[in-house]
Amino acid sequence: MSSTEQGTSSAAPAEPTTAPESAAAPEVPESFYYVHGKDKVVHKVSAGALQHSALIHGMISNLGYTEEQAKANPFPFENIDGDILQMVVDWCNQHKGKPTPPEDTNLPKQKEKLFDLVLAVNYLEIKELLTYCCKQVAMMVKGKSPEEIREIWMIPTDAEDEAAEKEAKKRAGKEAAGETAAAAGDAK
Amino acid sequence: MKLLIFPHLVHKEIFENMKISDLVLLSFVSENMKKRIKSSQITRFKSISHIEYGTYDYPRRVYFPYQNHGIYRGILDNIMEFKERSDNETDNEFFRVNVAGKIMNFRLSYEHDCPAVYFHPSEKESAIESIHNYFLDFFDNTVEYQWYQWITDDEDSIPNFHQLALSISFDSKKYGRRDVESLEKFFASSPVIKRVDMQLDTSYLFRPESKFYQVESVHLKLYSHAVPTFLRHFQGRQAFLSCYYKWNILDLIEFMHRWKSGEECRKLEYLKMELSINEIPQDQILNALGVKHIDESNTPPTHELPLAFWSGFDPNTDPIVSHSYVVRNTDNRVASVSIQNNWFCFGVWKETEQEFLRMVT
Repeated sequence: MSSTEQGTSSAAPAEPTTAPESAAAPEVPESFYYVHGKDKVVHKVSAGALQHSALIHGMISNLGYTEEQAKANPFPFENIDGDILQMVVDWCNQHKGKPTPPEDTNLPKQKEKLFDLVLAVNYLEIKELLTYCCKQVAMMVKGKSPEEIREIWMIPTDAEDEAAEKEAKKRAGKEAAGETAAAAGDAK
Repeated sequence: MKLLIFPHLVHKEIFENMKISDLVLLSFVSENMKKRIKSSQITRFKSISHIEYGTYDYPRRVYFPYQNHGIYRGILDNIMEFKERSDNETDNEFFRVNVAGKIMNFRLSYEHDCPAVYFHPSEKESAIESIHNYFLDFFDNTVEYQWYQWITDDEDSIPNFHQLALSISFDSKKYGRRDVESLEKFFASSPVIKRVDMQLDTSYLFRPESKFYQVESVHLKLYSHAVPTFLRHFQGRQAFLSCYYKWNILDLIEFMHRWKSGEECRKLEYLKMELSINEIPQDQILNALGVKHIDESNTPPTHELPLAFWSGFDPNTDPIVSHSYVVRNTDNRVASVSIQNNWFCFGVWKETEQEFLRMVT
């Protein structure tokens, strides 16, 4: 398993400076967690950056892992392509502890990449990034005719929907018949 | 990118980032798509109080007043444009869409950032009716559809569609001096009109049985001596009157007496009269027989009624705060009476006098 070091700028905790007793408590060293996607490439991400993801934040909030435990137990996101997870991690690092800007122009321009990113971000529950992505998806069909929209978003026609529905009903009917026959066989 | 693979929440987020006119275009793609838009935009569609078919400029456009931070600022969000196509345009110059069972030709209007539907003049009414029926199905059923028409010619036709409130304004230059009889014919042959805006320079008003008096909201500029006739026969809810020339104050007192007796304006909710020439002798009216007063040290309740036909530009109410009121003998209901400068305002409450006085603080 290969490993990348993402978001490590604050990996080594800074030496606490000498301060008067009345000053604030010394900074707590930042904790890190590890995630990997379909490609098994492990990304090291700070807890601060991961706060953007409601899913991961919920998972780690009560874990109390040590650095070693976290490293030994990366979170597997097998349903997310490696390059997409990399984009997500990069975005979380870039926006760690910062208010998110009204727009994000660094999202992928290719349709399929954007599509995968939307699914990943929705799964990981990263609300702000999902909003940016959805804005970009919406912009894809601005000023397009219904037929052009159909092509871009691959929306079936009414006839295709009807045919698919008929097919699904037929399949469900067959499955139900199969189950009934199996149940009858078992009863014998 | 297969949009339909996305879960409902993602669809919702994408659709939230699209203009209503873009959602209408998207809904044309398939029935399934239309259903998904409707189910994910319930709150947004419910926030649209009314959709207007207006004539601010050519061509007629469909739009709704856009709410910004809870306030309507007169910003219009265009939904669609209606255009008549010329004979030399071919079908190839349009994209075709089946709208409520009718195949129609569209183009995108870059000027107004919305789709534009094109039709031959002979198909105008049926084309607009199909679009209207589509909107009835697409948007929330609480939306009021308002058709604004500026009548400049006898040939102007007025649509008579299901759930379409009509606001008719008459060109004062052409119609102000018209004989009332021809206007009577107009109202007799028109569908039920919700709002009328007109100026009458004639001395006579309509016959008592005229459909004109059934209009819900009337904005009238007329001779002051025609006011009593109007008030005697008016069966609508709200009237906004401007009068020419000297006002006979006894007419106003007479109106209040008749209202109190339940003889006239039984459906009236709001009356506002402007007297452009003379100041109203406030004392004379407020000291008239039967006008009651709330003690000056108390605060009267505010009469605040939504306008029967609201265009989204001005405030939706024209409140009355007055210590003076009258009570109708037949049902004990109250009307606040206010006189300020040249304005006489009369606001009828749903409450009886006892209920009304309980609201005084």
